[in-house]
This record gives sequence, C-alpha cells and structure tokens, in this order.
Amino acid sequence: MKKLFTLMLMLLVAASFTGCGGGGGTTTENQTSSTTKIGILEYLNTNEQQFTGYVKKIVGNYSINIPNPQEYKFFSNLTSMQMALEAGQIDEMSALLPVARYMVDRNPKMQILEDYMTTGTNNYTKDGQALEFANDFCLAFTTQNTALKIAADAVVADMNKDGTLAKLTQTYITDLKANEEPAPVAFENIEGAETIKIAVTGDLPPFDYVNAEGKAAGFNTAFLAELGKRLHKNIELVKIDSGARAAALTSGQADVAFWTVVPVSQVIPANADKPDGIELSAPYYRSAIVHVALKKN
Amino acid sequence: MEITDLIYKIFIKDGAWLTISKGLWATVQISALSLLFGTILGSIICFFRVGKIKPLKIFAQGYISIVRGSPVLMLLMLLFYGVFARSGLDPITVAIITFSLHTAAHVAELLRSSLMAVDRGQVEAARTLGFSKIQTFKLVVLPQILIIAKPVFQSTVINLIQWTSVVGYVTITDLTRVINNIASRTMQPMITIIGGMIIYLALSYTVQWIFHLTDKQRGGETK
Repeated sequence: MKKLFTLMLMLLVAASFTGCGGGGGTTTENQTSSTTKIGILEYLNTNEQQFTGYVKKIVGNYSINIPNPQEYKFFSNLTSMQMALEAGQIDEMSALLPVARYMVDRNPKMQILEDYMTTGTNNYTKDGQALEFANDFCLAFTTQNTALKIAADAVVADMNKDGTLAKLTQTYITDLKANEEPAPVAFENIEGAETIKIAVTGDLPPFDYVNAEGKAAGFNTAFLAELGKRLHKNIELVKIDSGARAAALTSGQADVAFWTVVPVSQVIPANADKPDGIELSAPYYRSAIVHVALKKN
Repeated sequence: MEITDLIYKIFIKDGAWLTISKGLWATVQISALSLLFGTILGSIICFFRVGKIKPLKIFAQGYISIVRGSPVLMLLMLLFYGVFARSGLDPITVAIITFSLHTAAHVAELLRSSLMAVDRGQVEAARTLGFSKIQTFKLVVLPQILIIAKPVFQSTVINLIQWTSVVGYVTITDLTRVINNIASRTMQPMITIIGGMIIYLALSYTVQWIFHLTDKQRGGETK
C-alpha cells in the first residue's frame, strides 16, 4: 500500500513537471524560433513537408500576409494535437470552426486566433476564394458500393432542399451552448430493412463524439438517423479509431465512414486525403478552418 | 475546488464511471481469456519447439520468431480486416484470438528458457533412480520450471494488459478507447489520460497482488 502511494505521488510530481516544462517551452519557443509550428489532422496521401509547401503556395496565391513562415505537423487525432499544443510542441492547431468553439468553451486555456483565417468566419465563401481554408463533410464508400453512394447523394440533395440540414446544423452546431451536449438521437428500427454499418470515431466533437453513457452522439449521428430513415435502411454504428477507417471500409467491416475534404483547390491534389478505391458522397456540411492557440498570460 | 469539480465531471458525471467500467471490463475480458488460451497454446508450441519431431520444431521456431518479431497491432489489423473480415466474427473474439496467438509465442519462449535453466543432471539422476519420463517431468522438472518462469510470466501478463490497448482499431471500446473518447468530449486530455494511467496501474497492481497470494500459498518460497 505504501509502495503504491509513493508511486502515485511520483506520477503526480512527474505530471506536474511535464506541465511546467511544457509551459516554459512555449515562451522560449515564441521568442527564439521564427517559424510557427501548426498542428493539423493528418492527410493520408501527402506528408508534412508537401503540405507545408501547399499552404505556402495558397498563401502566396491569395497574397495573404503572415508574419512568420509556417511549418505543418501531422497528428492522428484531436486529443494528441491538443496535448502537443498544451505542452508547447506546436504553436497553433488548425481545427474546424465548430470544433474550435467546442474546445475553447470547455478548455479556458485556449483561444481562437483572430488571424486571416478567422476574421469574418465566412471569408472563405467570398468569390469562392480561399476555399482551401474550409472543409466539406462527406460520406465515404468503397467503389463497389456506388449504388449506395448515389442513393445517399440524392438524400443529401433532398435534405438540403427541404431545410433539414439547416435545421440539424442549427440544433447541433450553431445553437450549441457552452458545456451543452445534446442527447444522442434514437435510431429507428425498420423491420425487415437492410442494415448498413457506419463507422464513427468519437474523435471530433461536436460532430462526432461519445457521450458520458458511452453512446455515439453529435451532428453526424443526427444526420445519419435522418439518412437511414430516408434510405429506408437500418443503421448500425461501429465505433472505430479514426486511423482504421480506410481499412474498415475496404475490408467490408463498415459500409460507410465519415470523411472531410478540402472543397476546391488549385494546389492541394484531390487525392491528398483520399485512398484509392474510395469515393465520396456530395458534401452535407461545410466548415471554415480556424487556428487555436494557448492564451497568452 | 476547481480540480475536484473537473475530476467529477470527467470521470463520474452522467454515468461516465459506468462507461469507464465497461471499457475496463472489455480490457479485462480480452486480457484474461487471451492469457488462458495463450498459455495453453504456448505450452503446446514449447513442447513442439523442444521436441524431436523436425517439422513441428521448425514450425514452432518460425511461429515464435514471426509473432514475437512483429507488432501485435499489425497482427490484429491483419486478422480483423483481412483473414476474418468476411467471417462475421465478433471483434472481441478476433482480439482474443490475436492476443492468444501473440501471448503463446511469448509463453513458449519463456517456458523454453525456464526448461533450459533446469539442471540436466537432475533429469538423468531421476531416470537412473527408476522414475519414468512422465514422473521425472512431473516431480522433478515441472516444479522448478514453475518457480523459474513465474516472475517472467507475471511481467508477460502485465505486458499483455497493456498490449490490449490497441483494440480500438478493431471497433472495440476498451479502456483506452473510453479514455480517448472522454478526452475528446471534455477537451481535457491531460487529466483524463493521467486518470486512465492510474486505472491501468491499479490493474497491474491487482495482477501483482494475485501473484503475491500464490507465493504465500506455497509458503513464500520465491526469492
């Protein structure tokens, strides 16, 4: 018992040290280094150097003025990226606007940067410019599943037309209050209908998260419930690590997964984040990308 | 206290503790069953490895070097998304198969090294005294193997528990996955992950305590 206690104590001390060390690191980093390190969720078919090059080119194309050269670092999930930010390994993290809002609501240490990407959050729609700084939400299918993709496309178009998507966006994203978590939607069970398996990761609140009771929740699940109803299919949620989505699709362990893509780009190749053999549905949501950083003392 | 509030919110509120326990149960279930099957399979492979039948010996050698030399996550992905992809097997079953195969290789190797540590002369002496082969193994070799193998076996068990933390890749919600989900939802990764570590630590201590109990039953004879 005494040994256990000592060990716990050591662990706590170690943890607080890392906290301090990390914090100290940030300040020196900002003073000495001239590059801004930016964390971003990883792209499958490109590497950090290439991606840094793409952004440099985009920034040049739109003659956006940024003070320091940027360097992009890839992370496999939001949690590790957030920890890197807290420890000072990166200076900023690139995140979808609703995710960033969700983050700063719950973690008072963070703030959304008011830089060129955030001033006027709808900047990206002006003359179709800088669409690189936005992400479209799509459903991913294998190329063998084209029939389902076409059906899903039709449903997305319908939901867009009758305002269902706008309503869902309002409930689950725009009107979401700080520290509020909407209850998970109930999926209807359609007797005798075919079941499709859809992979959710729980890694991207408020779109996709797992609530305290262990149920998948968020905007994506609400969208799925509606999709299932209109496709007349039962939906089975498969909870999976985001890194295993492509494997789950190609092996048939899941029929559909969520994917985000850059809507239009002259610079970033279309397959930068899309493996071969996978095709994407029409987008059902578009989000701006913003940068999150630690608050300065 | 702000920190206690935070801890309450992360680990207890709205049934979060129940979700964590469910994740913990998945981890324990996979670890315990893999340990059971892995030990049985490992003993058989060890038997092949030290035996005199050439093809089985080569098979055992190959098996041990391939499985021990590759990351368990690769094996898991290969089995779940490859070999058993269309079989409709429950992911937990696939995980148990994977970790049993993995543990078997380690157990086979640790049993073989314990076997080699037993003095060969004792076996010869027992045989000269008229013990049968089986009697020699049961009365002379086995009791010594158990003592030599125990500390290494214990660390294999603890390693196994930690290896299972990758099952999130095959749609299982284990302790690590629950902790990651909570970290994403609450946006407080540091505290959540330290909490998760403490739970894993408690699990390891429980294993050590169980091994310690078995020491006492034998009169505390480990050195």
